[in-house]
Amino acid sequence: MDTSSPSAFVNGALLRRYIGQKVRTVIQVIGSDTGSVVGKSTDDLQIVVRGPSPTPPLTTYLEVIGIAESDNSIRAETWTNFGNTFDPQNYNELCKLANGEFKHLFI
Amino acid sequence: MENSAVTQDGIATVLSNQSLDSSSVRPQIVVQVVDLKAVGNRYTFSANDGKTKMKAMLPATLTSDIVSGKIQNLGLIRLLDYTINDIPGKSEEKYMLITKCEAVASALDSEIKSTGIVLKPKQEFVARSASQIINEQRGNAAPAARMAMTRRVHPLVSLNPYQGSWTIKVRVTNKGVMRTYNNARGEGCVFNVELTDEEGTQIQATMFNAAAKKFYDRFEMGKVYYISRGSLKLANKQFKTVQNDYEMTLNENSEVEEASNEEMFTPEIKFNFVPIDELGTYVNQKDLIDVIGVVQSVSPTMSIRRRNDNEMIPKRDITLADETKKTVVVSLWNDLATGIGQELLDMADDHPVIAIKSLKVGDFQGVSLSTISRSNVVINPDSPEATKLKSWYDSEGKETSMSAIGSGMSSPANNGSRSMYSDRVSLSHIISNPSLGEEKPVFFSTRAYISFIKPDQTMWYRACKTCNKKVTEAMDSGYWCEGCQKKDQECSLRYIMAVKVSDSTGEAWFSAFNDEAEKIIGCTADELDKLKSEEGEVNEFQTKLKETTWSSHLFRISVSQQEYNSEKRQRITVRGVCPIDFAAETRLLLQDISKNKTSP
Repeated sequence: MDTSSPSAFVNGALLRRYIGQKVRTVIQVIGSDTGSVVGKSTDDLQIVVRGPSPTPPLTTYLEVIGIAESDNSIRAETWTNFGNTFDPQNYNELCKLANGEFKHLFI
Repeated sequence: MENSAVTQDGIATVLSNQSLDSSSVRPQIVVQVVDLKAVGNRYTFSANDGKTKMKAMLPATLTSDIVSGKIQNLGLIRLLDYTINDIPGKSEEKYMLITKCEAVASALDSEIKSTGIVLKPKQEFVARSASQIINEQRGNAAPAARMAMTRRVHPLVSLNPYQGSWTIKVRVTNKGVMRTYNNARGEGCVFNVELTDEEGTQIQATMFNAAAKKFYDRFEMGKVYYISRGSLKLANKQFKTVQNDYEMTLNENSEVEEASNEEMFTPEIKFNFVPIDELGTYVNQKDLIDVIGVVQSVSPTMSIRRRNDNEMIPKRDITLADETKKTVVVSLWNDLATGIGQELLDMADDHPVIAIKSLKVGDFQGVSLSTISRSNVVINPDSPEATKLKSWYDSEGKETSMSAIGSGMSSPANNGSRSMYSDRVSLSHIISNPSLGEEKPVFFSTRAYISFIKPDQTMWYRACKTCNKKVTEAMDSGYWCEGCQKKDQECSLRYIMAVKVSDSTGEAWFSAFNDEAEKIIGCTADELDKLKSEEGEVNEFQTKLKETTWSSHLFRISVSQQEYNSEKRQRITVRGVCPIDFAAETRLLLQDISKNKTSP
């Protein structure tokens, strides 16, 4: 497992803490444009993802790993299908725990 | 009385005969127990024969005899079986490891010395301390003087087996019937009473034979008595009815005097109410619980046939509701059904509040409550909880539609996946508690991995295609079913297998029957049997087992006790299997994390 460039688990609100750093998050796609995808984060905020688009077929939920550019945009490096029955609330709680009380267990 | 003398030169005999093998008869040697002390959960002492002493150790199995006073310091014991070992580190000194012995006499006045004088103990087999003996001597004083000395009332909570003289002032809060028994030691009669003192502490007192006859009529329910000269011992956990580490025995020398002129404040019945929506965790457990609720409905009396003796007993069902907006059915039995039950039927339209103490929690229709002989029902109790309940019911409860607590819960027979989230435990909770399911099987749900299935175990049995019972091979071809009383050319195979299961806390063996094993393996026993007998490069049977290993599932299990060669072993049976719902499990984990959070 390549642990050379770890990515922090973020939701919409936590993205601003990692500007310029590698992050990962799960979004629900709500729209797309040329060169960018608009998604809803697990805490119901809007995130814009620029860069190479994910290749179809796409599921409802997608994970994106990339560099945080601002407090609401990411430059994508990797996309992964996370299925249609994903539970966003659980993921949201994970992000809160991974950046709060249990930060020492993550990055 | 038996020989109350120690065997002369007993210790010398023991030491010289140490090379005796087990088949030869050991001389019956009586020694005195001196310097009895506890080391861990065993006791050591010096065995004294009046001339010499040697160190000795008693097995842990006899610790209870020591605690109860059967084997006493300065008392005599007869050695029945023992081995002589070297004391580690001191090769010249030996010690006796006793495996079997019997008490011969209770504590003598002192250590037997080589003057050869043997002092006979005053009384046989009554656990008595020095202060008890002194108190008895004092007992010969004038009654008035005696009363003045012993009338100081001790709180029940201060009593223990090692304190000699005490007097308690208690009310009889329960009186049992006189029972007769017939066992290896002979015939007898016994009854017990439940005693409560002013502080609310309770203790059970038992009387046998002569004492039972003496006090049976004297003890009356609800009356107050001064009691002294009883003996205490550790309570037998199996038969515990009150919260007390000790239980009392009264014999003919005990004193029971009615406190006729004096008032005693009776503490109100101490209730410990469980809200109806929390009853789930008590289902089929040993603990008795108390409830308080508003009577929604009262049924007429029903007659139920008792299984063990075919006698018909009356029963009445009451539906109770409380502020958790859940209802539960309480079954009143016998006198409670006909007496207070009838009262409740008459006032059912008033929807009174009732509080009930000591109910058993069963699993009929999910959750059911039943009264037992010591249950206590109070209608419209004078308490703040009752007032709160009544006002809640009058203002909103009356109109609210409520659901039965049992409906959300599947009874063990139903393998509904909803029961996979109630009584969730980890494997360590089960294996670290060997007495689980001692009386009645206990049910849990757990999430675990199948870690091992022995390929060469008997995984199935031949079953009748109609009734699924085991069939026997008929003389000519075919199979005979004893239950259906018919022969069939074919039979089906049904699973009965042991699987090893693991989770992050430990591992255990589960027994799985056909329906559950099919879900685990992923094919029927007949299909697996076919795979087993197939030839070929790849053994499909082994592959199937391999695929099953390290698959995770949600299990509904029952834990009970079974005896194997007089040893009690835990038996865990799978009652239901279903796949893991990861989102639901994650939610459970998040709940667990927040419960264990250290920071506010």
